[in-house]
Amino acid sequence: MGFDVYDDESKALLHFDPRTKFMLFVTSLIVSVNCFDLMPLLIYSVFLCAIYFLCGKRMQAVKLFAAFAFLTYLKFAMERAGTGAPVVVMIFSTLITVFLFFFPVLISLMLITKTTRINQFLAAFQAMHLPNALIIPLAVMFRFIPTVQEEWQGIRKAMAFRGISMEPAAILRAPMKTVEYILIPLLFSTISVMEELAAAALARGMDSEKKRTSCETVKLRVHDDLVMLVFLGIAGYFVYRKITGGAA
Amino acid sequence: MIELKNVDFHYGGENGTGDGVDALNLTIHDGEIVVLCGESGCGKTTVTRLINGLIPHFYEGELLGEVLIDGVNVSQSELSETAKKVGSVFQNPKSQFFNIDTTGELTFGCENLGMPPAEIARRLEKTKDDLKLSALMNRNIFELSGGEKQQIACGSVYATEPDIFVMDEPSSNLDQKAVHRLHDTLCKMKQAGKTIVISEHRLHFLTDIADRFIYLNDGRIEREFTCEEIMQLSAEALSGLGLRCTSISQIPCAPQPLNQQKKPALEVLDLSCSRQNARILDIDRIRLPEHGIIAVIGDNGCGKSTLAEALCGLLPCDGSVSFGEAYLDAKQRQKQSYLVMQDVNRQLFSDSVLEEVMLNADVTEHDAKSTLSALGLGDYTDRHPASLSGGQKQRTAIAAALCAGKEILFYDEPTSGLDCRGMERFAALLHDTQQRVRLSVIITHDPELILRCCTHVLHLANGRVSAFYPIDLAGAERVRSYFLAKSEDSTSKKRDHTSQVGKILQYAGDHRKTVCFAAFLMILGAAASVTPYGIVSILANRLLTGESVTLQNSMPLIGGILLCEILYAVLYMQGLKVSHHAAFGTLENIRCRLQEKLEAQPLGSITERPSGEIKKLFTEDIESIEMLLAHMIPEGLANLFVPAAALLLLIAADWQLAVLTVLMVLIGLSISKQMYKVGMDRMGSYFASARRMNNEIVEYVGGMEVVRVFNRQNDSDAKFEKAVREYRDFALDWYRVSWPWMALYGSVFSHIVLYTLPFGGLLILLGQLDVTRYLLALILSFGIGPLLLHCMSFVGAIPQVSYKLQSLERALDTPPLKAGDAAFSGTDHSIRFEDVHFSYRDTEVIKGVSFEVPQGTTFALIGHSGSGKSTLAKLLVHYYDLNSGRISIGGQNICDLTQDALNAQIAYVSQDAFLFNKSIMENIRIGRKDAADEDVMAAAKLAECDDFIRSLPQGYDTPAGLAGSMLSGGQKQRIAFARAILKDAPIIVLDEATAFVDAENEQKMRRAISRITQGKTVIIIAHKLRSVQDADRILVLRDGQIAAQGTHDALYQTSEDYRRLWDISAQTQDWKLKQEVTA
Repeated sequence: MGFDVYDDESKALLHFDPRTKFMLFVTSLIVSVNCFDLMPLLIYSVFLCAIYFLCGKRMQAVKLFAAFAFLTYLKFAMERAGTGAPVVVMIFSTLITVFLFFFPVLISLMLITKTTRINQFLAAFQAMHLPNALIIPLAVMFRFIPTVQEEWQGIRKAMAFRGISMEPAAILRAPMKTVEYILIPLLFSTISVMEELAAAALARGMDSEKKRTSCETVKLRVHDDLVMLVFLGIAGYFVYRKITGGAA
Repeated sequence: MIELKNVDFHYGGENGTGDGVDALNLTIHDGEIVVLCGESGCGKTTVTRLINGLIPHFYEGELLGEVLIDGVNVSQSELSETAKKVGSVFQNPKSQFFNIDTTGELTFGCENLGMPPAEIARRLEKTKDDLKLSALMNRNIFELSGGEKQQIACGSVYATEPDIFVMDEPSSNLDQKAVHRLHDTLCKMKQAGKTIVISEHRLHFLTDIADRFIYLNDGRIEREFTCEEIMQLSAEALSGLGLRCTSISQIPCAPQPLNQQKKPALEVLDLSCSRQNARILDIDRIRLPEHGIIAVIGDNGCGKSTLAEALCGLLPCDGSVSFGEAYLDAKQRQKQSYLVMQDVNRQLFSDSVLEEVMLNADVTEHDAKSTLSALGLGDYTDRHPASLSGGQKQRTAIAAALCAGKEILFYDEPTSGLDCRGMERFAALLHDTQQRVRLSVIITHDPELILRCCTHVLHLANGRVSAFYPIDLAGAERVRSYFLAKSEDSTSKKRDHTSQVGKILQYAGDHRKTVCFAAFLMILGAAASVTPYGIVSILANRLLTGESVTLQNSMPLIGGILLCEILYAVLYMQGLKVSHHAAFGTLENIRCRLQEKLEAQPLGSITERPSGEIKKLFTEDIESIEMLLAHMIPEGLANLFVPAAALLLLIAADWQLAVLTVLMVLIGLSISKQMYKVGMDRMGSYFASARRMNNEIVEYVGGMEVVRVFNRQNDSDAKFEKAVREYRDFALDWYRVSWPWMALYGSVFSHIVLYTLPFGGLLILLGQLDVTRYLLALILSFGIGPLLLHCMSFVGAIPQVSYKLQSLERALDTPPLKAGDAAFSGTDHSIRFEDVHFSYRDTEVIKGVSFEVPQGTTFALIGHSGSGKSTLAKLLVHYYDLNSGRISIGGQNICDLTQDALNAQIAYVSQDAFLFNKSIMENIRIGRKDAADEDVMAAAKLAECDDFIRSLPQGYDTPAGLAGSMLSGGQKQRIAFARAILKDAPIIVLDEATAFVDAENEQKMRRAISRITQGKTVIIIAHKLRSVQDADRILVLRDGQIAAQGTHDALYQTSEDYRRLWDISAQTQDWKLKQEVTA
């Protein structure tokens, strides 16, 4: 299934405020860019996976963590052994490192998209006092992903009947043609969908000047504060170390 | 109040929704329901947009005149201000949701208006209750069907409680039940004093609530109708105006000539299809005739689209599908079929219509052009497909399908949102292409289209085929009654996405822990089985490093090996013991559960299954769970877990060898996956043929007697042989594709060492690896090989187990009877049938029967066999659910009663009295469990069976099995009477109770009957009319309908049917008497 936006969250043990999730995303970016040590990254990722687990994506969190742990272990074993042909070692360690360092970003992104409803977003954005002009496009963006996905699935089906192959070989043979086959129907149908969507949203008072309320209570609770504190601390530590490290 | 004063509007730029409106003057008062009707492009949608303010705020163009809502000019106030007063429902269900979850969508409007959260929560509750949306709450909108989405759209507007509702074709994607619900919602809104403006093509559901119909043509209001006026328009007049029908019961039907060809164009056997572990389709058999136009009907979300997609090879499914008697796999089906989607935009890929049609099609330009002009697209060959209208796009897609030589065309709701002309044109198109393609299958909610051009109807319910019938006159009547049926219950339900294993574990209940414990033991055991390899490697290391290895210093290690082996044996055995315990416990649970399910099911769905199948279900299929729980889960886990641990160890020893091993294991896994995939393709057919063979054998043995007596060996042998041969072919076919893969992965897994050995040697030569580690790696590979192989032996069994689990699941999730949980609370014991329709699968047996039996009277049902007499009785005792209509006792619907409560009210004596293998005494006591022996005997006396029971060898204690052979049909019948007497229920149903009675017994029987029926409400079904002559009222049934009713004398005077039946009955009675005399 790939990139699902918003799944069922009935299994969630804790509900985090969307703002916390955004915070996590930002700290993850900081950590990924600034952290080059394995150990702190490992600790950070364990925390993230734990939060993802608590948000109801249990199996996924465990699987992702297992993959992460395995690769870390492999990297560790490689470094300790110090054997192997240089080219192979390089390819392996690069791949592993890239994965390991993007891992926090990946998880926090999934945390945002998969466990948050759109009206939670809207409420959270509003609580952050963002202007409407920013909120609506952001919300629409989240709405747009599944739309494109749905359209794409429909188009794939239509292609099957028309003998338009999506096998790699066929794409390589006529790349432009393939792009055309994908884009023409995709554009036409998404454009019409988005236009109607905008009309529907407006007709239901989306652009009201009046302050929007929400039946979702977005409130920073104790666990939100705690998580934010811990993660900000970690991120701060990395930034601090980088600055001091740079100075030294 | 809405006022449109002299409104002129024309869209600026390109717009697909018509040109606009001219000189519009319209006043809509508060509390009115006004329907805008007219052909597509007449300006209906424009009017709705004028009212909700999207014109001029969103759709730009030239606007003259003014639109006032409660005196406020819409064009001058903010859209969000208008949104408070006017709630809008749009036409396209997929593009009016801003949220991704349903609950968020329902509250979206309220939130925009800035209501306090508590108020929003209250409105959410209210909307959920009023519109019956509880099944749709908290779901991802993208997994809903179109109709379900439309309900959410209505709901989200309803929640904001505006004064004015503006709806743009709200019914276009709805099934008939949802249309009825929409109708009821509109009624509620009207009662609440709301103003409603609906632009709609379907008019039939609005005729009783709308106040006015405004007919627009070309942007101008041409006429205005009241309800009465529009109802009086003839079909021709409506069609002339381009309007759809106003009443379903009056849709004309010209039955299509049915071709009697036996050859099926499409045949489906045992098709089942799941999405994310939720079964959507479960179809035993469909045969669609060649050149047919098949309408697929059914409620929203019952699997119509899934069926189409599975049939044309888009969705993976199990089962065999053949086109023109050749079994095809999914790829081949894609090549030969075509699905015209609801959203045609997705299907057009090229720059011009001609190019579109010739894309990947093997046709000359000339042929393509002639096909296009045949479909009325001759003038558009150079146009860009996107610039065409909806109907033209649809025809372009169809032309493309025809040019590509597709044989079977599927259409997904082709006429939703089409006006009368569009529908007529589409019907004509279907006619024209009927002979060019092998089959057309149309998913539709449109009765007009069905009655106009379809040849057959395939009715789906809950992913199963509920009926398949041709549209002749009776079929047309059935279609109409389906679309008219009033039923409020929503069929949407949340699908269960638990995986099969998850479901089985649910049944396991408390045994789940035991299974986990078994797995734990086995993991320990497997670990113990691998440890000796490690010990051996330590020993070998000592040798290599030149340490002295003596018996003495290696003794502890050898002891360790022994200990591990013993541990392994003990733990493994213990694990197996525990897991079997859990497995058989679970089997018990499932069998009991299955039995409960069977009990709750309509009798029909049980008797329809071949008896061999139910037996197989209870014995063989359930056994497969033993395999799963006792072996696959614990052993499989252990055998995977330990290699995984060993692999980690291997990485520590040498990561390069480990990577190589992982690579080999991955290759092996992908091979076994490939095998699973090709196997699954064939497996459906294989199992289907196994099932056919099974049933054939049961039938063969069961029918042996008849076959021999009538010398029909040849026919029967041929059938039997065919089933067996088919089974052989399918089985071989399946094995043939699986074998190479099996051999491949077998060799990969058993010889992992073979690949690591030379590579390790190379590493040693290169100085990258020392011998000790190499040795450890080798030994570990040896150690995990057998575990992996053992694990792989289960892979072959997975498809089989999963298939059996599926059939088990299918049996478990068939819908039960609609029994309620109320106790009997009827005012009296009168019985009332209201417009009851019922069909046994394809044939409708009861076609709209209504009558009332007042308390304490005796009614008789008579008629030829097959006229539906017994069916009516069975419906009263709720053996089946009705298709439509209502049966009530004392004003209470029998569907609301629990089965027990209903049974307590009715004593039903059926044609064949079944005696259980207990004593006669106990057999009678079934009528009332707590009856004393004396009561039983008293009842037996009343039923005139005391005499013959006493003459049995052990009197009342004679086992019925023994007595069974000694009792005549009439005597058994009287035992059944005794049961009924004992039960003393206020309503009595006698179904052919006197069928077996000979002349001698008849007197006794009649005495018994008159005793039972005293003071009761009675329904008697009889062939012998003399026995019911005295009934208060006699109903003559013919062909599922009441042909006449009255007392004997009146009927004999007036009813031809009754007279004939009476005469026949009298003759046979004479004949019997004579026969007895001569005997």
